[in-house]
Amino acid sequence: MSKSKLTRRALLGSAAAAGGLAAFAGPWKHNRVWAAGTDKPIKIGITSDASGQYANSGASDRRGMLMAISEANAKGGVLGRKIETTHIDTETTPATGSRVAERLISREDCGFLVGAVSSGVANAISQVAQRNGVIYLNTNSSSPTESGKNCHRVKFVWDGNGTNFAKAAVRNSIDAYGGKVLLLTNDYVWGHDTAKATRTLIDQYGGEVLDEILIPQGTRDFSAALLKIQQTNPDVVAAAVGGDDQIALRQQVAQLGMGSKPAWINNQQDWPDVYGLPLDNLFGVFGTTWYYGLDLPGVKEFVERYQTMYPDTSMRVPGNVFYNGYMATRELLAAIERAGSTNNIAIIKQLEGHVMAAADRMQHDDAVIDPITHQVQQTIYLATANDEPRNEQDMFKILTQSSPQDVRDEASLGSCKLESYDDTPSFDA
Amino acid sequence: MMELVPHIINGLTLGLLFALIALGFTLIVGVMEVINLAHGSLFALGAYFALATLGGGWFGSTEFGVWWLSLPIGMRYVFALVVGPLLAAGAGMIIELCLRPTYGKAPLYGLLLTFGAALVVEELIRLIWGTGEQSLTVPQAINGAFLMGGLIFSKYKFFAAGFALLAIGGVWFFLERTPYGAIIKAGSHDSEMVRALGYDLSKLRLLVFGFGASLAGLAGIILTPIWGLRPHVGLDVVIPAFLIIVIGGVGSFWGAVLAAVLVGLSVGITGAYAPAWSMMSMYLLLIAIVGVRSRGLLGRKSALEN
Amino acid sequence: MISLSDIPARGGSPFTPAMGLFVALLLTAPFWLEPIGLYHYLGIEIAIWILFALGFNLLFGFIGLHSFGHGAYLGVGAYAFGLFQQEVTVSLWGGLAVAILAATLAGAIVGAFVSHRRGIYFALMTIAFGQVFWFGAIKLHSITGGEDGLLGIARPDLVVGPMRLDISDNISLYWFVAVILVLAVVALWRIVNAPFGRVLQAIRQNETRAQFVGYNVWLIKWLTFTLSAAFAGLAGGLFAMAQESAYPDVMSLHQSGLIVMMVLIGGGLVSFWGPVLGVLLYFIARDIIGGITETWLLWFGLMFVIMVMVRPEGVAGLIHVLRQKFAQTQQKTVAPASNPERA
Repeated sequence: MSKSKLTRRALLGSAAAAGGLAAFAGPWKHNRVWAAGTDKPIKIGITSDASGQYANSGASDRRGMLMAISEANAKGGVLGRKIETTHIDTETTPATGSRVAERLISREDCGFLVGAVSSGVANAISQVAQRNGVIYLNTNSSSPTESGKNCHRVKFVWDGNGTNFAKAAVRNSIDAYGGKVLLLTNDYVWGHDTAKATRTLIDQYGGEVLDEILIPQGTRDFSAALLKIQQTNPDVVAAAVGGDDQIALRQQVAQLGMGSKPAWINNQQDWPDVYGLPLDNLFGVFGTTWYYGLDLPGVKEFVERYQTMYPDTSMRVPGNVFYNGYMATRELLAAIERAGSTNNIAIIKQLEGHVMAAADRMQHDDAVIDPITHQVQQTIYLATANDEPRNEQDMFKILTQSSPQDVRDEASLGSCKLESYDDTPSFDA
Repeated sequence: MMELVPHIINGLTLGLLFALIALGFTLIVGVMEVINLAHGSLFALGAYFALATLGGGWFGSTEFGVWWLSLPIGMRYVFALVVGPLLAAGAGMIIELCLRPTYGKAPLYGLLLTFGAALVVEELIRLIWGTGEQSLTVPQAINGAFLMGGLIFSKYKFFAAGFALLAIGGVWFFLERTPYGAIIKAGSHDSEMVRALGYDLSKLRLLVFGFGASLAGLAGIILTPIWGLRPHVGLDVVIPAFLIIVIGGVGSFWGAVLAAVLVGLSVGITGAYAPAWSMMSMYLLLIAIVGVRSRGLLGRKSALEN
Repeated sequence: MISLSDIPARGGSPFTPAMGLFVALLLTAPFWLEPIGLYHYLGIEIAIWILFALGFNLLFGFIGLHSFGHGAYLGVGAYAFGLFQQEVTVSLWGGLAVAILAATLAGAIVGAFVSHRRGIYFALMTIAFGQVFWFGAIKLHSITGGEDGLLGIARPDLVVGPMRLDISDNISLYWFVAVILVLAVVALWRIVNAPFGRVLQAIRQNETRAQFVGYNVWLIKWLTFTLSAAFAGLAGGLFAMAQESAYPDVMSLHQSGLIVMMVLIGGGLVSFWGPVLGVLLYFIARDIIGGITETWLLWFGLMFVIMVMVRPEGVAGLIHVLRQKFAQTQQKTVAPASNPERA
């Protein structure tokens, strides 16, 4: 190794180090403003995933929140205060979720946290949030445990959960296709919870479970399971397969043309996951909380607002993930306004039991934030692939809708134990 | 017993696909003794390049782009099958250039560099093509399903398995029956000798890495219609490839093929009878085989053991 | 290229300038973390990962066994701590002891399978076992809570003799973790600078020779593996306290890969303190770049690639070389022949 080469390398190394140092010093200029008063902005921490498995849904979720916030800011903010946001990637990893929540609360002084797709991340965030009394909106994680045994006083859950969707789908399918059901279940908590809810309903409506095929997380090839399904020959397959596993399953079912026989019950198909895919990837029936093609007043304007705000986004129309992010954030801001203060307990009380008019939420029924579980009880739509689309975005056909009381997750009423108000630290954001 | 037959057939096709996935990886490990953790990213990259070629994403709505899209899909698909791997080879060659300072050091450094490269490639894919799920349309002739023994099988799966067989045969022919193959193999055994005979070793390494990368890209294009395509799809590739070369024995071409078929069979059969254990079966197979034969099925001594 | 053996070891006292600086920084951190714009929780996490990384480097840097599945033992420690709080009794020392025990046991079992392996086969076996642990954590969800995690783990009071201190807030937890870390670092420093540490390095440099000299190489490798798993278990127990939960993700291959990356980038192969530098660099870079751009992994990946190309000995190696050069220019002497390359 010659001397001159060493010098050049050392130089390169120290240049890189200097660059690192500059980055070091930059954002560390600390400005913790404690000044009370109405000019201080309200800070919301956005905890959506920007990398990992749910990066794409996380981006959509975030667009929803930002649209609600920019609309509020355009009207002069909340309580006369502007709303500011900080976003840090939670990487679809629970451990990162904890750290991001800690940072947003203790360093960025965020009084509110919004955003989740994965239930693991949502749990990590909500534990930190509960310890600090910071209100946390779980916008898009549909695990039944979120509003069941892992519920918290500060956490509010905005998506429908596996039980809600199963309730909307099972009876319809048994009536239409027959009672012999095979369960295809992802072998982890969410899958098992959803399958359990489905089993109960199958019993209730006189169906019979032929078999349950467990799918380990990370499965990319479903051919063995699909052969097994053919050998078992059920009337209906009830699938609780999520994430990337589901995407692979969809493609392989489509290739085999098995999407219509047997009949399939799927869990929720998140819009960012299916947008732009060939239509035969959407097989069977599945639940959703909202669709841009719903024939309700306000939907058209909502879509237009989305298109004006996000002209460059490849997803040309908003979907259920965006919708949940938007609605959750908008309702939070409205609750702050109603409370007349940024005291967390006052705002929690405003949210609990709050009834949201159907027209405001562009759904068929009024929705309510359940005071016992903190889950939004809302209309659940049963959808399938659209065989006569108006354009290439028009992928869903809405079959029926179920009102909130018909699809209510009763089990969560017993399993959710919220902390008392006294055990929740109180502060003004 | 008759019930088992379709699962064995399915396991065999799966095994061939696993072999296709591991082919480029085992080539680079065998010849260059570099564990290429960017293999998965190159796999994804090849598929994304093919996607852009097939859908005319490169040309936008220019006149050429419109003309291109008016061509029959079969023709565009074949073209994409060539262009995707070639571009992936280009990316692979850039990685090889970055790898040069690590030659002669512990194999760990090559592994680490390619790990970093994998992060970079994945993020670049995210920046260029977005985070969303994409799908690759294939010609009608190889799409759809057919009936065999009363059961539905995917036509594409068999096309893919056949393609994997061709690729395995092609690589074998190249390594064993052409003078280039002889030089490459010599390079892996005795780089001094190759240099002494007047061959440019760095050019050889560049080409081998490019070749391995193009095989990764090719596997990506073939597997996309089955697995789907997203920026982090590469993660699903590296682990099976890894397991396969270790079970087969580092540096052994036929060992890797044999291991891939074994892994395919074990995943396919547990997938039918103990599905909850189908993913785990790969690891248990590894622990069982490597526990008994420390160099894998057909492995020989390698610098990577140090 | 330099290696661990080229940096002279000191016998006897662990009170070196580097140790002094480390302890001083660690124990004053609560006073300057916030003013420079960091936060206490990050301090806790960094301290825990330093503990994990230093214990890991015993295996990785000193004896040269490249484990890519070490996150498993961190996870085992975290779950053991949590399950002890929830199923047996809420006790800090009990929980930590169980965390260490469980990880030690797991390490001892896996170590027995892998200790006669070398190089790539060792690495791959550790990956396979790591995946088995990770998979088990997800699959046994009735015990571990699966992907939802084992939640609601307490931060028990610190009981020392008649004293009972509440360490449930982040600052006091930081103090506790910092003290444990100092004790662990002193212990590790003694281990690697004792004759045992020299044997580890001898095995790394030439296993066969060490065998001929009369050392029971298998036993020493197994012991090191187990010891390193024990430190990971301690770190895991503390991590469960910090997070108030345990998740399977820390056991994934991705996380196990990250610790390798941190140790290497910091220079764990050339210095005892390398892992410390690596953990600091990783967490701080992630916190800062992550706050600025969503594509932080791109920049981190690029930084990493350049680092491996230009300065594979990591930050510690860079510091070492800079110091040597500084000393040379002062003495105005000609550079000595560079160290012989060691493959």
